[in-house]
Amino acid sequence: MDLLTLIVFLPALGGLLCLFVPRAQVRVVAVLASLATLLVSLLLFPTFLGGAEAAESIFGTSYGKLQHVIRLPWITGEGFEIEYFLGIDGLGFPLIILTTLVSFLSCLASWNFDTWKINKGIRGYFFLFLLLETGMLGVFVSLDFFLFYIFWEVMLLPMYFLIGVWGGPRKEYAAIKFFLFTLAGSVLMLVALVAMYFYGGAAIEAAGGSVPSGYRVTDSGAPVAITHGTFDLIELATNDVIQKYFSAKATLFLGMRFAPIMFMFLFIGFAIKLPSVPFHTWLPDAHVEAPTPISMILAGVLLKMGGYGFLRLCYPIFPLGGEYWAFLLATVGVVSILYGALCAMAQTDFKKLVAYSSVSHMGYVLLGIAVMTPAGFQGAMFQMIAHGISSPMCFFLVGVIYDRAHHREINRFGGLWLTMPKYGTMATIGFFASLGLPGLCGFIGEVWVLLGTFDAGSKYTWAYPMAILAAAGVILTAGYILWLIRRVYLGNEREEYRGFPDASGREIFILVPMAILCIALGVLPMQTVFNFTNGTLDLLLAGVTDTINAMI
Amino acid sequence: MSFLAQTDPWAGIDVGEQLFAFSPMIALICTMLAVVTCPLLFGRGPRPIAIVVAVGVIVTFYLAMRVAGVVSTGAISGLSPGGAGGMLIADPLSAGFQIILMVFLAGIFWLWWMGSAATERNAPEFFILLLGSALGMALMVSTLNLLLIVVAIETASLPSYAIVGFDKRDKAGAEAALKYMVFGSVSAAVMLYGISLLYGLVGSLNVADLAQYVATMGFHTGESSVLLSVGLLAFFAGIAFKVSAVPFHFWCPDAFEGAKVEVTTWLSVASKAAGLILLARVALTFCAAVEAPLNMQFLEPVAWVIGIVAAVTCTIGNFSAYKQESVKRLLAYSSIAHAGYMMMAAAVFVYAGSPGYTAGLTALLVYIIIYMFMNLGAFGITALVVWDGGSDKLDAFNGLMRRAPWLAIPMIICLMSLVGLPPFAGFIGKWWILVALGGLDSTLGWFLVIAAVANTLISLYFYLRIVVRMVFAEDQRAAVRAPVGGIALVNLCALALLLLFVFAQPLKTSAEQLSRGMYQAVASNTSDSSSARVADSGS
Repeated sequence: MDLLTLIVFLPALGGLLCLFVPRAQVRVVAVLASLATLLVSLLLFPTFLGGAEAAESIFGTSYGKLQHVIRLPWITGEGFEIEYFLGIDGLGFPLIILTTLVSFLSCLASWNFDTWKINKGIRGYFFLFLLLETGMLGVFVSLDFFLFYIFWEVMLLPMYFLIGVWGGPRKEYAAIKFFLFTLAGSVLMLVALVAMYFYGGAAIEAAGGSVPSGYRVTDSGAPVAITHGTFDLIELATNDVIQKYFSAKATLFLGMRFAPIMFMFLFIGFAIKLPSVPFHTWLPDAHVEAPTPISMILAGVLLKMGGYGFLRLCYPIFPLGGEYWAFLLATVGVVSILYGALCAMAQTDFKKLVAYSSVSHMGYVLLGIAVMTPAGFQGAMFQMIAHGISSPMCFFLVGVIYDRAHHREINRFGGLWLTMPKYGTMATIGFFASLGLPGLCGFIGEVWVLLGTFDAGSKYTWAYPMAILAAAGVILTAGYILWLIRRVYLGNEREEYRGFPDASGREIFILVPMAILCIALGVLPMQTVFNFTNGTLDLLLAGVTDTINAMI
Repeated sequence: MSFLAQTDPWAGIDVGEQLFAFSPMIALICTMLAVVTCPLLFGRGPRPIAIVVAVGVIVTFYLAMRVAGVVSTGAISGLSPGGAGGMLIADPLSAGFQIILMVFLAGIFWLWWMGSAATERNAPEFFILLLGSALGMALMVSTLNLLLIVVAIETASLPSYAIVGFDKRDKAGAEAALKYMVFGSVSAAVMLYGISLLYGLVGSLNVADLAQYVATMGFHTGESSVLLSVGLLAFFAGIAFKVSAVPFHFWCPDAFEGAKVEVTTWLSVASKAAGLILLARVALTFCAAVEAPLNMQFLEPVAWVIGIVAAVTCTIGNFSAYKQESVKRLLAYSSIAHAGYMMMAAAVFVYAGSPGYTAGLTALLVYIIIYMFMNLGAFGITALVVWDGGSDKLDAFNGLMRRAPWLAIPMIICLMSLVGLPPFAGFIGKWWILVALGGLDSTLGWFLVIAAVANTLISLYFYLRIVVRMVFAEDQRAAVRAPVGGIALVNLCALALLLLFVFAQPLKTSAEQLSRGMYQAVASNTSDSSSARVADSGS
């Protein structure tokens, strides 16, 4: 059994087990299953350790060097090959660790399931929860587009039920909105899936029916021959013949140029997940209605799939699309930053504020990717990881206070730090990390993205104004977070909250790892994130730039 | 009259072989006769009838398997002395369809035994009609003779009208049957009129001759073109009625709502599948006859017409399902939409034009098999809920997750499979259709791909309406009492949907074999008329 398969399907196995154990033991089984997944995923670390000296042996010399690869034929036919193809590189690896960690912590956050308002069907809850984890992990490791799509869709149904059954008052509306939005994105992806396969096949046929693979070699060192269309995401990105055909002017899809239109189809699918304005409206609803652990998963992992999709599919496979739409994408990114921050400022619902802050933060990811500079890509990736730690923490902090107060009205709170000092301390770390205070994780990602955007000024004249506007977003972020802290945690102690117990041992246990990571990522960005991601990101960007330069 | 001149019309024909090739249909007829005789010997109770039917279905299934094994090396066209264009065809496709039909019939029989057997007083009549329509459908996929096509469609339709209104005291059923019959008779008359025009024009009832005529004359030459177009259009209208393609779909929701659930399930899959395979056969015969250079110019408009009808059928079916309160009616509209998806595959093989092009037919067969499980499951659960609560309204499903989890979970699987969501087999069915469409690499193909995925999105909402009722709605009613056998049946269907997703490969391979070995009809004036056995036509 190889490591990645084990990591992906361990949660699902635990989920099945949950269906058969006595009711009182279900949560124990679920926590153990997610803990086991976390521990097994940590075994991936040795592969990526070694620092800058070993970068070449870990990440290769061009995009496409993979670790822990497994490929088995799944559905094959004449000129048709769908594979069970898993592998990780600097893109997938950090997100796997993030997923297993956030899943474990949010599984712990579900420990008090019995005290929830809707506490029926504990077996179903943990089964769906763990099935969701399998789906998320599958997305980050599958490198066959078909398989990727399957895992992408597998997440939908569990998430729908988790929000719809165990959610708040408007749960049905929120759940169906989430489902419809995401499916709308994925059907566009499905069109791209079919089109990429046939256009790739046409490219190979035009080149004589057999071309050397862009990255795969046989045991003797000769490149593998590719004789038909492929779903292999790395092959699509690295094969010169396919790349030339995809970006050629004469390659049309329904009368439109192939690369930009396919890029757009994929982009919309991922932008819905990210979410960026104007596809973001499902997110506040889903977050507000979802139970706390599910909000943590949503913010911590699901949103990252959008960014991962850009970096794995859109840019490597359709670099020309990235160039073509750069201005639009950067604009959408900046609008998301500013609009999300302004919306967050206007909220009086604690959870909705954090939800809109996610929209704003993910705008940096989109901006960083859109400008296509090394710092931009690195910053976007860092921002995803950082947000993946700070925003589940914020959602959990909201959950802790909601469990006690049973409301989330910001204006009705006040002076909580005096009542609950431990909780107040944790909350300050979490929200300051989200704010982007230097020394905490949010800062590095934002600054890197801004630097990357300034860098892009040499190729795009619009990059400077974009960077300035995005930098203004930082001020807005500081505005709404500081205002939030003042209204909720500072001020005089209020009578109605005087009796609240401070954070329990379990809550502290969940908050501390995230608080430590917030600080660690802020202080040691190289050692905690960049060393694992930059190798792949730089090679990826080099490939993208080469293709663009060759075409222009 | 030409064969009268010959001394021995059966010369060169192995009668034994031919009888064997058509033995599944003969077994079906024998079963019907046995069902007629049974009451005289053992009384009218459901038990003896059920035994006879079960044995008959198993024997037919066995014979169809045997035939499929034999004809996989070549197709047989026969039971018509002295002509290459035989009346009946036995090839892997027809044998394969008979196998599918028998599996499905077994499922319907199981459902009937669970729900209706105890109260059914007219079991012999019910089964004669059901088996009769099965025979008609088996015939529909085994012929390329215009006359026999009409006979087959009528054989399938007439018993269907009767079983839709089988319960005399049920007003809704009677109304449904009448509507169904009026629509059916009109479209049959239109079809017959079209066929008479075509016969007058071509002078032959063989579709291959007709295709040959079209290929040589084309639509644009001669004053006969109007006659030809009208004739063909009327002919296809008859098929479109069976498939319930827009605008011939109005009978479908009424008939499905009024009929018993077993009957609705039967019609929703079997009659559409037979119609689509007949369409496939006819279309591919045309493609084979049309010479390559003329190919696109002539067939492209036809493909566009079929494609647009398919896309419209899909969209109208899905949008009409939105407002339905009766689950049976909702599923009826969903079956219209699914007929649309399957017709998209039909557009593929017309457009592709080459007889060796099997992707479309393979996709169609895979879809039919998967669709059979989805509908058997969804209708089966509806039946169990209706038998318990007496209502098929959405309210009857309220809180099903708590009242009967073993019905709610397979229902969710079946519905999500109908949407086409992985990891359920419905996605695989849609996937092969998308692949076949994408493989065309043409505007039509990509237009239909987009239409298909857009419809997936549209359909999600109304399928979710049932899910919402089952999972989210509060309901204090008691648990659903359902027979264990019924629960087993629907859960088997759900399991099949999961397994057919994981093991998509074998399903596709066998469907490919069926479509590859399909009999290619040849026009009588170009072929060697002494040989009734046609060599392997697969490529």
